[in-house]
Amino acid sequence: MALLELDGVNTYYGRSHILFDVSLSVAKGEVVALLGRNGAGKSTTFRSVIGLTAPRSGEVRFKGEKVNGLRAFRICRRGIGFVPEDRRCFPDLTVRENLEVATRREKQAENPWTVDRVYALFPRLQERERNLGSQLSGGEQQMLTIARTLMTNPELLLLDEPSEGLAPLVVALLAEMILQIRKEGVTVLLAEQNLHFCAKVADRGYVIDKGSVKYEGTMKDLLADDEVKEKYLAV
Amino acid sequence: MGAPMDVLEIRGVVKSFGGVRALQDVTFSVRQGEIRAIIGPNGAGKSTLFNVMTGLFPPDSGEVIFDGERVSGVPPYRIIRKGVGRSFQITNIFPRMTVFENVQVALFAHHRSSRNPVGLARRYPAVASEALGILGQVGLAEKYEQSASILSHGDQKRLEIAISLASRPRLLMLDEPTAGMSRFESRETVELLRTISREQGLTLVFTEHDMDIVFGISEKIVVLQQGMVIADGTPAEIRANPQVRKAYLGEEISA
Amino acid sequence: MMATIDVSFLTVQVLSALRQAAFLFLISSGLTLIFGVLNILNFAHGALYMLGAYFIYALTLHLTGPAGFVVALLAAPLGVALIAAVIETGLLRRIYVQEEIYQLLLTYALVLIIDDLAKIVFGPEYKSIPKPDAISGAVTIFGGTVPVYTLLVLVLAPAIALVLWYLLYRTRTGKIVRATSSDREMADALGINMSALFTLVFAFGAILAGFGGALAGPARTVFPGVGTEVIIESFVVVVIGGLGNLWGALIGSLLIGTLETVGIIVFPEFEMSLIYLLMVAILVVRPWGLFGRPLKIKALSEKNLGMEAQEISPVHFSVNPLVRVIPVLLLLAVPLVTGRFYQYLLTQIFIASLVAVAFNLLLGTTGLLSFGQAAFYGVGAYTVGLLATKAGVSTLPALLLAPVFAAAVAALIGFFCVRLSGVHFAMLTLAFGQLVFTIAFKWYGFTGGDNGIQGIPVRPLPGGVEIGSTQAMYYFALAVVGVSVEILRRIRSSPFGSTLKAIRENTQRAAYLGVNVKLYQWAAFVIAGAFTGLAGGLYALMEKSITPDIIHWTKSGEPVFMTIIGGIYTFAGPMVGAVVFTVLNSYLVAWTEKWALVLGIILLVMVLLLPGGVVGFVNEKARAAFGKRGWVRRWTFSKSAAS
Repeated sequence: MALLELDGVNTYYGRSHILFDVSLSVAKGEVVALLGRNGAGKSTTFRSVIGLTAPRSGEVRFKGEKVNGLRAFRICRRGIGFVPEDRRCFPDLTVRENLEVATRREKQAENPWTVDRVYALFPRLQERERNLGSQLSGGEQQMLTIARTLMTNPELLLLDEPSEGLAPLVVALLAEMILQIRKEGVTVLLAEQNLHFCAKVADRGYVIDKGSVKYEGTMKDLLADDEVKEKYLAV
Repeated sequence: MGAPMDVLEIRGVVKSFGGVRALQDVTFSVRQGEIRAIIGPNGAGKSTLFNVMTGLFPPDSGEVIFDGERVSGVPPYRIIRKGVGRSFQITNIFPRMTVFENVQVALFAHHRSSRNPVGLARRYPAVASEALGILGQVGLAEKYEQSASILSHGDQKRLEIAISLASRPRLLMLDEPTAGMSRFESRETVELLRTISREQGLTLVFTEHDMDIVFGISEKIVVLQQGMVIADGTPAEIRANPQVRKAYLGEEISA
Repeated sequence: MMATIDVSFLTVQVLSALRQAAFLFLISSGLTLIFGVLNILNFAHGALYMLGAYFIYALTLHLTGPAGFVVALLAAPLGVALIAAVIETGLLRRIYVQEEIYQLLLTYALVLIIDDLAKIVFGPEYKSIPKPDAISGAVTIFGGTVPVYTLLVLVLAPAIALVLWYLLYRTRTGKIVRATSSDREMADALGINMSALFTLVFAFGAILAGFGGALAGPARTVFPGVGTEVIIESFVVVVIGGLGNLWGALIGSLLIGTLETVGIIVFPEFEMSLIYLLMVAILVVRPWGLFGRPLKIKALSEKNLGMEAQEISPVHFSVNPLVRVIPVLLLLAVPLVTGRFYQYLLTQIFIASLVAVAFNLLLGTTGLLSFGQAAFYGVGAYTVGLLATKAGVSTLPALLLAPVFAAAVAALIGFFCVRLSGVHFAMLTLAFGQLVFTIAFKWYGFTGGDNGIQGIPVRPLPGGVEIGSTQAMYYFALAVVGVSVEILRRIRSSPFGSTLKAIRENTQRAAYLGVNVKLYQWAAFVIAGAFTGLAGGLYALMEKSITPDIIHWTKSGEPVFMTIIGGIYTFAGPMVGAVVFTVLNSYLVAWTEKWALVLGIILLVMVLLLPGGVVGFVNEKARAAFGKRGWVRRWTFSKSAAS
């Protein structure tokens, strides 16, 4: 059974129709990429899943249960973690406080994430433990939001454009970390424009354009499909 | 240095926010009557550049020259009066006024009638017919009595373009003019923009994520990545540029 | 010898300044905390302070001795917190998605309600709260006599500040509060229950206010309405410090506490004016306060709270000019059939209508909520009063100068206020209004202080027309108000008015039309001030005596009330509201002491259920009912796209 399923999701901002019958599924243990250019509907898909912008029709199922219509904090508590594209560290909190805020006590995870465990994954954060969120570089902010979201013990992690605006070296480092997170048993759905980054970390990919899914397949097939690449991803 | 025909010049513009460099030494120029797109991946600095160009905030260094006159650091309302129009990514109209009033008030501002507190707004037949003319141009003439808030998204975008046109700009800057539109609406809007530019010799500068539109109508394209201009040329040149390709598809990461 | 006197004097004064700062901090820290997280400026915070004081009063009636006092001191704030939790879950929660002025208005309605309830339960008189013997004496420090209770306050308040610091910076919940105040949506997505957190923070802020009241009660006194004094001082503190910033509240409290103490010694008449002058000085340099940042409104997505915002539409048609003449004709005939009581009542209504219509040029047309209109009303009234009594100026010239002086004051105040927006604007107008009030209240040599001005002569108009009688004043006020309202209607329908509406609808877009937004807002502020001043001048002529009460900020609430009742997006709304308010006021006052309670409940119901106001509601229904019948529509509404 799929961990996450979107079934004919339509989402609007006010009067404007953004997602058109989006359907996709992510199985436990996978890393899946949602590829598309700016404004293709990737962030809206994520916001629809996490409940920040609820779909107007269609269904979002997590572990077989319908979650659309629930408020964001309830969906988070069910086990979906969301890392937004603009990162949004809490600027007035230290790195450590950013992590502590996200700690969930009510949920009994088998091997819960702790501050020490995420520091082991992101040693750089430990070095900057006492710095405020507003004092971090772009790469550090990205690590902090991922680490912060892990603290909620998600079974599924939604990563919105993690590589955006980062230097190539940092992007490579980030790819390593995503693979590491996967080894820890977390399923990852990744929104990206950067095809080669996805090629490194993802098993399967969906291509989304103008609010609807245009392609789905393994990353290998996608990489080989020049037509899809040209049409939906390149300029 | 731009040729005398350049209507807009961006010279070495730098802008940082809290230590993060959003724009780094951005330089390019736009010729009179040109249709120019600014593209780049998310976070490349397009919106920041737009905001600097329209006076929302001043650049840290460098300057923006419009029609031979320095406009960086000048508040928006003065830049607009010099002949620059702007539309926004998030639809930016006057929702609880009628479609007609939306354009009418823009015309009042343009004709400097806004400061008249005694005349009746409805006794401005010249403004009224001008407003209806502009609404006709964007295809909203029949909806002039409706409240702007109940228009469809596409109509609201069109209304915003009408509002911008009412300032009779020589340069119109459009931030994602087709965002959130259906395909049909986008195509119509693009045609509209092209016609207006051709008929009125209007210079258009726009950002857009729909590549069909970008390559369909622009004469020149400037590509930003991480706040820097990485390419500036005709659509064909941009398409062939390997650096642009990399910016969009990412570097090949050695496994 | 001199030196020792100085030391003892200084000790007493420093401790008294610190005590004042301690009380201020307890109240304003809660206020700023609530604003930081909920984005609501809680007008009722002063009322919560008052409840804290009343609760300790009631508890110490039964609990005596030191132990009883301690229990009362701890239980009173908890009682306040309980009430606050009910307010948050039952009322505030319903309007989080509405525009912020409705939240402000709801808490203002609560002020009216809680104050009157307190009066009903505890009586109108001042209550003093007995202190146990152990802490009611005084000690000598450096030769100065200091009450033991002051020392207790100076121990407890910093202790509370430390606890507050500990809770916010050392506990997980505190960290969540800080996180939420910078990014609600992200906190939501991290599994934090916003609704529960909002209730918690509101109740906790109330504990601080309640503790402030419980601690200050035995040192000061408590009476219904004490909250309205306290809230203004707290507003000044948080404006100076920066809204939503706790350090700002601390520094602001120390500054104001010190200034009040120094002010009493150096300028005993104008110590209250001093704090407003300090506020102005700080805002000139830093418009958002010492530690404040310009607010980015952290909008809640509707789904966040599981509800949708109600859209209030402005009315897009105006009443046919012929139909408009009918009420004027009726009003001209009124004195033929009624006696002096109704003529007087209607004259009051005319004046109130002008105030409300002028106010709505700001709120309904320009989108600015001013809570300082009483200042301009007062300037107008005092202009007439002073010119007539001190300079022997004739009635008409004096009345014509009223709007001139009011406009001049509005120009000055407006210059500072239009740099801000939203609740900042509202608070700043409020504070400026109080500055004018304190001057009028204390400047005995010029304004007569709290005695006001009695026996204002009403001299004949040019041509020997007497307007001294009730009936003549009725016609005179009808003429002046009629002409003024027509001018205001013209302004609203002019290109200038359209531009103001555009600014209300979308400030940023208006700027991108080439409109100098601040200049237009300022102009609207001055025009509204001028007409409010004219209304104040008429009031002085009608009553023939004035007191500074007419400038108190609670009077600034009246046009707000009228306009909301009538409907902010209609021209006639404020006038209908003025009728309702004035009639309620005069009848309720005659029947019952509790008229503020009734007004508060009406305002509360309007904000929650009928935010478009009575006229907005009737218009909507009328349009639905008659819109299709051509002749009714033609005769009643002159429909025009340019209304």
